[in-house]
Amino acid sequence: MAFVPSKIKKHKSEMEVSLNLTSMMDMFTIILVFLIKNYSTEGQLITPSDYLHLPFSQIQKAPEKGLDVVVSKQILMVNNEPVAPMAEVVKNNPAIVEQGVIKPLRERLLHYSSQSKKMEVDYGIKFSGKVTIQGDKDLPYSELVKVIRTCGLSDYPNLRLVVYRKTD
Amino acid sequence: MAFRPSLRRHLKIESTDLNLTPIMNLMVVMIPMLLSGSQFIKLGIIELNLPPAAGASAAGNQPTALPKEEQRSLDLTISITERGFYISSALTVLHGKDDVQTGIARAGGAGPTIPVNAGGEYDFAELSQKLLEVKQKAQGIFPDADAIVLQAEKDIKYQTLVDTMDAARVIEVDGKVIELFPRVALSAGVM
Repeated sequence: MAFVPSKIKKHKSEMEVSLNLTSMMDMFTIILVFLIKNYSTEGQLITPSDYLHLPFSQIQKAPEKGLDVVVSKQILMVNNEPVAPMAEVVKNNPAIVEQGVIKPLRERLLHYSSQSKKMEVDYGIKFSGKVTIQGDKDLPYSELVKVIRTCGLSDYPNLRLVVYRKTD
Repeated sequence: MAFRPSLRRHLKIESTDLNLTPIMNLMVVMIPMLLSGSQFIKLGIIELNLPPAAGASAAGNQPTALPKEEQRSLDLTISITERGFYISSALTVLHGKDDVQTGIARAGGAGPTIPVNAGGEYDFAELSQKLLEVKQKAQGIFPDADAIVLQAEKDIKYQTLVDTMDAARVIEVDGKVIELFPRVALSAGVM
């Protein structure tokens, strides 16, 4: 027996099916607002690696710009340029460490400070003597003190220790 | 004369869709851009201002230090050792409680003010508590009642030092945040 053609469907005009985008728009709007809230114009200050795990702290102070000194487990860097291997610093190699001052670091810092001071004279950009120290959380105190001492003796007395903020 | 019924009655109202394509384009561009630029790890900084180097290159412009009126200062110091914290000031060293369990009397500052607990972990809560007592007593008497000097043994880890700074900076009592000693200085100390 043949089917009887539906009488209702026969008269139905062919509707154009359009995608309902409203819910998608809602979602996108929420994501967009969230991302704009999280957005920082500062850009990434640090590049995390296996050899550099910053310590955690409860402090809420936002980071600021300064000369970057990275003290990872392996290497000591200033502005992402390697300065000295940490192994030699730990061993107190007399070619590198003298009276608790890391000589290559001191040279590099003095180089940067003289540049900054020249900028101060030429363009009026004030030399703040700020240096941000990114140290690994397992760094022993003796090594940290060497780095801090060197910074203090090389025109950079305003230290900023970079930490991860604990979120409660 | 009666009005003729409006012809517009038969005007068909067409439902038009909003053209969302440009907004969609904007979203598709902006979301990846913001996603790549946002920071999910929050960074913070601890300020640590050293006095400008006296003996180094800055020595030339050193003004003559004004002879200050003799003023008593607190000179609060925390020494972080493997056995615990020692708290001392210009006037005294805080002694720890006598160890009741082992019966060892900690005489003459032999033991740390706040020893590490059984698991070898530092007791930061106790340290904050102790410093609060010191703060309450020192407030208003000493000019440097917001400064503290930290020193540590050479193998003390950076994380421990940062935790100690946290403990010494603020304390939360009954939901209120009380500032303790936010001005931190480091000393090479016991090496």
